[in-house]
Amino acid sequence: MTVHITRHGDASDGTEAVGSRLSRVDGPAKITGAAKYAVEQQLDGLAYAVLIESTIAAGKVRSIDTEAAEAAPGVLTVLTPDNIPPLKTASDWLGTPPPDAPYCPLAREITFSGQHVAAVVAETFEQAVAAAALAQVSYDEVPAIVDLSDGNAGDGIPIDAMTKAWGDAEAAFAAAPVRICAAYNTPREYQAPMEPHGLIARWQGDQLTVWEPSQWLDGMARTYAEWFGVPFENVRLVSPYIGGGFGSKALALGHGAVAAIAARMLDRPVRLVMTRPQTFTGYGGRAATRQTVTIGADADGIIQSIVHRGVNETSIDGMWVEPLGSTTSIMYATPNFSSRQNVVRVNSVVPGAMRAPGENPSAFGIESAIDELAYEVGVDPLEIRLRNYAEQDPHAKKAWSTRQLREAYAAGAERFGWSKRSPKPRSMRDGNQLIGWGVAAGTYPVRRAYGEAMVRILADGSVEVESSSIDMGQGTYTILAQTAAETLGVPADNVVVKLGDSRFARAGVTGGSRLAGVMTGAVHKAASAALDELVGLAISDPRSPFHALQANTLVVTNGRITSPRGEGPEVSIAELLASVGRDRIEAKGDTMPANSTAEERYKNYTTIAMALPHTEGDYSRYSWCAHFIEVRVDEDFGTVRVSRVVSALDSGRLYNPKLAESQWKGGIIMGIGQALLEEGIVDRRHGRIVNNNLADYLVPTNADIPDIEVISVGIPDPHSSVLGGKGVGELAIVGVAPAIANAVFHATGKRIRDLPITLEKLI
Amino acid sequence: MTNQTTIHLTINGHQHELEIEPRVTLLDALRDHLGLTGTKKGCDQGQCGACTVHVDGQRVLACLTLAAQVEGRAVTTIEGLAEADGTLHAVQAAFLEQDAFQCGYCTPGQIMSAVACIREGHAGSDDEIREYMAGNLCRCGAYPHIVAAVRQAATEVAS
Ligand code: FES
Ligand code: FES
Repeated sequence: MTVHITRHGDASDGTEAVGSRLSRVDGPAKITGAAKYAVEQQLDGLAYAVLIESTIAAGKVRSIDTEAAEAAPGVLTVLTPDNIPPLKTASDWLGTPPPDAPYCPLAREITFSGQHVAAVVAETFEQAVAAAALAQVSYDEVPAIVDLSDGNAGDGIPIDAMTKAWGDAEAAFAAAPVRICAAYNTPREYQAPMEPHGLIARWQGDQLTVWEPSQWLDGMARTYAEWFGVPFENVRLVSPYIGGGFGSKALALGHGAVAAIAARMLDRPVRLVMTRPQTFTGYGGRAATRQTVTIGADADGIIQSIVHRGVNETSIDGMWVEPLGSTTSIMYATPNFSSRQNVVRVNSVVPGAMRAPGENPSAFGIESAIDELAYEVGVDPLEIRLRNYAEQDPHAKKAWSTRQLREAYAAGAERFGWSKRSPKPRSMRDGNQLIGWGVAAGTYPVRRAYGEAMVRILADGSVEVESSSIDMGQGTYTILAQTAAETLGVPADNVVVKLGDSRFARAGVTGGSRLAGVMTGAVHKAASAALDELVGLAISDPRSPFHALQANTLVVTNGRITSPRGEGPEVSIAELLASVGRDRIEAKGDTMPANSTAEERYKNYTTIAMALPHTEGDYSRYSWCAHFIEVRVDEDFGTVRVSRVVSALDSGRLYNPKLAESQWKGGIIMGIGQALLEEGIVDRRHGRIVNNNLADYLVPTNADIPDIEVISVGIPDPHSSVLGGKGVGELAIVGVAPAIANAVFHATGKRIRDLPITLEKLI
Repeated sequence: MTNQTTIHLTINGHQHELEIEPRVTLLDALRDHLGLTGTKKGCDQGQCGACTVHVDGQRVLACLTLAAQVEGRAVTTIEGLAEADGTLHAVQAAFLEQDAFQCGYCTPGQIMSAVACIREGHAGSDDEIREYMAGNLCRCGAYPHIVAAVRQAATEVAS
């Protein structure tokens, strides 16, 4: 029997379907304090662990004197590399089989300042903190390479996979009548989610439960399982709410291993939460980067050649590549192109993913450079972008799936009033404030993967959706409720979405702005299957009130079932289920190819190896945006304030514009921080991050942020996802920093190529 | 355990007796000893505002306050803001309506600050709201919506 359903959401008031501005369904829990984040579970017998970290950046731990700490009141144990059982090395996020070597999360060999060397576990948090201060660690120190500018840092390691080239970029540059060449630098930056990293670990026999804020429950469960040599099924990750991640909460980290070891040794649940300073070295922020961008153009500013060279820092024994040529290679049409990248090892924690890794610093380079070209040839900065508009992906040589960037420029410029811009630098002012208007574009690839979801229609007609995916503020709870409601024809408030438990239907990583597209597709599929079964029962079960009707199909609207022609009865889902003697209908849907093996499924959800390339098939898939930003620069003091932002963005179809707008604005605000405030400052003597706290590592405050206007110019993109969305979370930060740098140049005539743009660079 | 002391706290109108060490902060007393985890710990060093509560109606950072310091004083946390029947405070309702949060981790502190900001008479203009809400960091970047929510709630409270 084939059942075709043509049904759309709760059309009665139009407020809940996919695409509507439904308020966050997890909102009431968050505004009343009822939402329990991972480490807030209240468990009997909880013990508290506190980390001790290295105070040198390079060398060896000679000894750890734990006597006083062990004797301190309430102390249960002091963990050091000498007394903890070795774990097994786990595979990486691609699932690459690991070397058969032990893994010790407490270090003897020190490669950066802030490395975990020991941990104290005590009856209370206060006792653990006090005892940790009593442990004496002595070191044999050797000189460290503190950062990219260190004399011993060298040129680094070429990363061949980052090389992109077509045409003859060097020759075309040499022959070009207009040539610009400049170096652009970005510092270490930190995700700094408001909820610090931490966890509670509890063993029951060889079953491990971990309550931990996580962007990837299944991936982290795999790592814990491999570390401890237990089956994947024995590890349960629970993460109902996540207090921000921005890329930093996707992987199981050393502190998690320490807590799980302590819990096993003590046979008690153990809570370990990093202090705020520890969050600056317990995992990596955005790597510091250096780029040179040269552009050769004709006299009209038409680009003939782009030559790009990039460098990012990585750690001594880990590898992080921040793809610096990513935006450079696709933003503008150019017949000749060359990009290469090196990574340089320094004594730092291995850097990690932070909102739009790659595209973000890459855009700072190319979007500043194109602005420089605009002034060089005397063309408006918006006009030069249109003259060099890439009508197809210049690198992949494929058609864009959708690219509403021209529309973004038009809508943003119109709303901002760009046409009233006085072209000359230093030509707009208000008293002693120099006013500058800048524009820059941003982009982020559409990362796609397969997803899985469970949808249940319960006896009372309510619906349950389960997935081990997560909501860290993007709105997963809400858009999945909307998707299930629309697909099944029930009101959204009849849908309960359960996330953040690895026992639920599996999910891959929440990163790369892929989750909404993946999970709305999976929920749509599972809900469609549940609806097929419901309607099938209604049509064919002899006990159904519709049985006599001999209909081919039925319609479900607002939780009530009718025939499309209006004949026959109208019954609620609950009544139908009661009549056919069912207490539930349950359907698990996944979007993987039908013949996928269990092994492929496991690999899909616990690694990133099966993600679908954004240039697969005939299309190149990206989200796009254009930022128009006004700054006011105090002529005497060099202080920069952003006074106006208008951004037009193409994220394809928006599943919930209210929530997407919030995420876009959040990205823009983080971009303002990146442009003007954020910088990890290294103490050159000790290789330490000296501003490792929220008063010294400056993130934007409310007083730094003006009103921000965002405009959606996207259209549904069927090549990017089942329901037509592209990506939201990372897109909007890309291009903000260069738009501000370009505005600062317009205001002051000074081109700042080193972020952040602080006052001493302007006076 | 060592050096315990008995402390009497009045939280959201309820009396609590706690046997704790004198060095326990109000924040840890709330979260770890009373299970009132609505008040958040973002830095534990007075820099983020996530732990904002009211003591005798004034906004206070619970991470920089010892539990023993608030004996005999009235502490209000996010859990005590709505009416007993669940009716949301105007600020809470405005936060939901304006989508003034994403991850929600800074939100209890923002809401407690906003209630005090309005009560202090510092919600007169958007710029004033920005200034007097600047002690509560939001890394998700909900600031424009927080301003809108405080503005809306201030109007409702005044009327
Ligand atoms: S936790 Fe108290 S100010 Fe951050
Ligand atoms: S809502 Fe996430 S930090 Fe404010």
